[in-house]
Amino acid sequence: MTELGHHTESVSTGTAEISVVVSEETPPRRSRNEIAYFALRNTKLVIGLTVVLFFLALAIVGPWLTDAEPFEFGFPTGQPPSWDHWLGTTAPGQDVYSQFVYGLRASFVVGAVAGCVAAVIGMAVGFTAGYRGGVVDDVLSMLTNVVLVIPTLAVLIIVSAYLSVTSLLGEAVLIGVTSWPWAARAIRAQTFTLTSREFVSLARLTGRRGTKIIVSEIAPNMSSYLFLVFILLFGSSILIAATLDFLGLGPSNVMSLGLMLNLAVSNAALQLGMWWWFIPPGIAITAVVGGLYVMNVGLDEIFNPKLRRT
Amino acid sequence: MTRYLARKITIYLLTFYVAVTIDWAIPRLMPGDPVDGLIARLHADSTASQELHGFFTESFELDQPLWKQYLNFWWGLLHGDLGPSIAYVGSSVSELIWAALPYTLALLIPAIVLSYLAGNRVGAMAARRKVLDNTVLPVAYVLTATPYVFLALLLAYFVAFQWELLPVSGAYDFSVQPAWNAEFARSFLSHWILPFLSLFLVSFGGWAIGMRNLIIYELEADYANYLQALGAPNRLVRKYAYSNAVLPQMTGLALALGVIVGGALVTEIVYGYPGVGSLLLTAIQNRDYFLLQGIFLFIIIGVLVANFVVDLLYVVVDPRTRTGLQGQQ
Amino acid sequence: MATRRKRRAVGAVALVVALTTVASLLAVGGAGAGSQSPFALPRAETLYVSGKQWGPYTNFNPLRPDYNTGTVGLVYETLFRYDPLKDKFIPWLATDGKWVGKTFKVTLRKGVAWNDGKPLTAADVKFTFQTGKLAGSQYSTMWKTGLSSVTTKGNVVSFNFSGTPNYQEWDFNLYSIPIVPRHIWSQYSATEITTGNTDDTSKQVGTGPFTYAAGAGGSQTLQYNRRSNWWATKALGERMPMKYFVDIHNTSNVASLQNFLQSKIDLSNNFFPGIDKQIGGKIVTYYKKAPYMLAANTAWLVPNTTKAPLSDRAFRRALAMSINIDRIVTADYGNIVSKANPTGLLPTWSKWIDKPQAAKLGFKYNVAGAKALLAANGYKDSDNDGYVENKNGSDINLRIIVPNGWSDWMTAIQIIADSTKAAGIKLTPAYPDFNGLVDERNSGKFDLVINNEKQIGNTPYTYYDYLFHLPIADSQTFANFSRFTQAGAAPWALTLKVNKLKSSNVVAAKKVHSQIQKYILEYLPAIPLWYNGMWAQYNTSVWTNFPTATGKGLQNTPSTWNGYLNMTGVDALANLKRNN
Repeated sequence: MTELGHHTESVSTGTAEISVVVSEETPPRRSRNEIAYFALRNTKLVIGLTVVLFFLALAIVGPWLTDAEPFEFGFPTGQPPSWDHWLGTTAPGQDVYSQFVYGLRASFVVGAVAGCVAAVIGMAVGFTAGYRGGVVDDVLSMLTNVVLVIPTLAVLIIVSAYLSVTSLLGEAVLIGVTSWPWAARAIRAQTFTLTSREFVSLARLTGRRGTKIIVSEIAPNMSSYLFLVFILLFGSSILIAATLDFLGLGPSNVMSLGLMLNLAVSNAALQLGMWWWFIPPGIAITAVVGGLYVMNVGLDEIFNPKLRRT
Repeated sequence: MTRYLARKITIYLLTFYVAVTIDWAIPRLMPGDPVDGLIARLHADSTASQELHGFFTESFELDQPLWKQYLNFWWGLLHGDLGPSIAYVGSSVSELIWAALPYTLALLIPAIVLSYLAGNRVGAMAARRKVLDNTVLPVAYVLTATPYVFLALLLAYFVAFQWELLPVSGAYDFSVQPAWNAEFARSFLSHWILPFLSLFLVSFGGWAIGMRNLIIYELEADYANYLQALGAPNRLVRKYAYSNAVLPQMTGLALALGVIVGGALVTEIVYGYPGVGSLLLTAIQNRDYFLLQGIFLFIIIGVLVANFVVDLLYVVVDPRTRTGLQGQQ
Repeated sequence: MATRRKRRAVGAVALVVALTTVASLLAVGGAGAGSQSPFALPRAETLYVSGKQWGPYTNFNPLRPDYNTGTVGLVYETLFRYDPLKDKFIPWLATDGKWVGKTFKVTLRKGVAWNDGKPLTAADVKFTFQTGKLAGSQYSTMWKTGLSSVTTKGNVVSFNFSGTPNYQEWDFNLYSIPIVPRHIWSQYSATEITTGNTDDTSKQVGTGPFTYAAGAGGSQTLQYNRRSNWWATKALGERMPMKYFVDIHNTSNVASLQNFLQSKIDLSNNFFPGIDKQIGGKIVTYYKKAPYMLAANTAWLVPNTTKAPLSDRAFRRALAMSINIDRIVTADYGNIVSKANPTGLLPTWSKWIDKPQAAKLGFKYNVAGAKALLAANGYKDSDNDGYVENKNGSDINLRIIVPNGWSDWMTAIQIIADSTKAAGIKLTPAYPDFNGLVDERNSGKFDLVINNEKQIGNTPYTYYDYLFHLPIADSQTFANFSRFTQAGAAPWALTLKVNKLKSSNVVAAKKVHSQIQKYILEYLPAIPLWYNGMWAQYNTSVWTNFPTATGKGLQNTPSTWNGYLNMTGVDALANLKRNN
């Protein structure tokens, strides 16, 4: 679709089919004021950011508001929400609210770390492939495509079942190491278009080394794009982590939202009507990930005026 | 076109080889002896245990050198023999997978196809009308952000447990025997609809959003503006926009397959639907080498085949690939 | 042009969807292998049971462990049955059995026919017991510990022993070994008999009240049909009221719970979390009040006595004293289990328990006492992190494991870890997969594990064997996982002695029991926690008269787990009545 001056990368992250638009005509660097202006006007960004920040605040501040620990027993069993226990108690007598806020923390940590790991690998592969082209590109693309086709969750299920993930960081690294391919592809595509620009050719003429060019010329021009990619990786990592935790394949001594779902189901919360045990964590995941996706679209609109619909 | 397809096939074959090797290697890198667990299950006493241990290790060929196991594995694979199951002694892996496969396919194929078609349609419509856009879009975002697991739990909770409208667990009522009659079909469908719905709804959201964004982008492109300036009817412009937007959506379909397969595995586990997902969980819990390998292989092959089908469809839909021009990669 | 092509593509796709659904119905329909009843069974004549079968129905061989639900009990039967609640042996295929010197003489019942019409003879019994000599048989031990030959004369079977027989183990075999027909099984090879013959459904020839009807492999159910000329109807007046017996394969406990509450399952042997809140009305259990269930086995906390500090019995005692077992009983199980006796022996063995001794020497929940005991034995918290350290100063962090997915046990070890904190002992729960756990346990790599493998039976000998079995091998596969040797050879010698004492020799036996129990109480080779229940919930919408503590003549074992039908499970079934 080169004749249209752009092409799109349809990416699948977790469950989202989000289109990240790659513009061949990189917009001129905008002044901060201009970005801020559009940012505040953009409903999507505002809504998404608000939701995400709300839960982030809850994750940070929430644990300070309670004395209970997530794995602490001794409370009345199976109680619905009350003044003593804002989100009620679990069947064996733990405080749901403390599990919820500590679980939120875990989700954010995993999302951030996995997102970073995937972003770093994706950037390394994508930049190199896009900048160098030729054989290097062919090999890296083949590698990316191979990893891309294999269903992430199936691989993660098997690997984490065997490696017995015991820490959040371990889980995050594992997720990051399997989620990078689509980021690599997207970054590679964008790098291609930039590489053909004059300022890069100029830099090459001055004899600068490849990595230096990538770091100082190409990456900054893609900064907004890289940020979008990171947000999507962050969101999809949270989803994948929640699924793994639900299957019991995540760290079992750290409370996470997915683990709450797991415990609720195996303790017959559905059958016994204990909605307060599994609905809050599910909603939290949905809200945070949804907020991130919406933020992503909003930011996309800000950075690429062509998408703006006023 | 041939070059395009040939390139794709090469990737798939390479992927297949890599995946098979990884698949074979992973279970064997794990500590522990699966035969020990099998014996423990049998509750045999000490003298019997020792004999049984030797017996099983030999029959599963676990005492052969690694490279020999690897070659035997490929040999068996090419003959369709994936070995015996360790967890379900007496059954072969292929037997177990074939028995579970119809259920998974019954969920996956309709879910993928219908969510793709419906999502694209609705997304395109939303791109046209602002009213629709403002209602559909938030819903679609919520759906796509919902983990498959949570939507499955919500549906199960409300529809099955609170309102008791539909059953959960199993593929059909256990008082009904599989047969060609209306009763069985009804039982089967009543057990199928909830897992199908939870797969469908989440994927639907993603497609709708994607299509909507692509259509908007197309409608703002130069050619669209040009056509409108020339006075072409909106319908014509939309038609072209749609045709162009479908292409990256289709590429996206290939990518999304891996995700929805993962979603199907988890959904089956939540609903106790006796497909490959439930089988996979049991295989993991029992550290059944052969069954794990077999399932993973099936998933890989399935996804590769599906990717290839999508590539073929892409050739049908995008004329540039047929004429050898540089198309969407 | 593009539209037409697109429409064709869409049409093709829709066709694919329709074909897939049809094809899967076809595949599933075809998978109804061995289905002899294509239509739904009449509800009022069918008993639906669940809770025993977690794997697919692949093992139809009664001589292999882990056979399908009902294989032994409904199809194949044993010489005697055992009533654990009355501690009585019930003559079944045998009418009489007694010791004559070192020979056990069994009189076989006359008039018993296999379900293919041929009569049951002494040759069948001899054949069955001789399969224990084949490689891979699970009944090989008796041939290695005294049984020298089996002879028949008419319908009397004589089991000849050399040396003092192991009476207790022998009693167990009498009600556990299912008799198979020689005229069919003599055609099988040795491997088929001991570890094969697992899916041959056409040759299920037994003496029992039911015959195999449908279901195999991955099918959702296993169906038995009532047999018309069962010997017990004429001989004992026992008759099965249900025409069809259907066992339902389990996918998860909570899935079965839903079906049970909707009256689709009559007798459930599943563990149902939260069932205590549902009992009442048409949901009935053995006891009306806590603990609701009979005790089936003891859940032990097994320490690895080869590792410090678990090698120190004072530490083990302090650990035991710091566990809040009551909390496990109430919060985790909702009172459907009960706390175990300090000896760990089941309530049905009450007459063998030296109660004054247990009261005096047994441990009790006492956090302050635990702390004092730790301090007195050199375990101090020098770095003030809230946890005590080893005598040499290194940190104590013990890993306590249960199989992944066993949700009630997972919660239990979380409760244990939470409660030992108060005494300063640090435990970290972990949930390896079942095989990984077995590997850790058997090889002696674990720290702490919960285990309940030894079931209710005719003698506590099995429990003593479980705790004290010697010698210790590199891989401990069925007993003494804690690798306990600290009390020397004495406890094991006493255990062997118990095995060689007849149950009728009560006075002598009680003395030995008391001595062994002293070792349990003082050394704590394993810490008894709670009695796991013989999970049984009844939905009385369709059937009533299930086993209860107060019902007349209804004190039977209400379980379809392996080994329970050939206790008094069969009686439980025979006593059922339709609820009209």
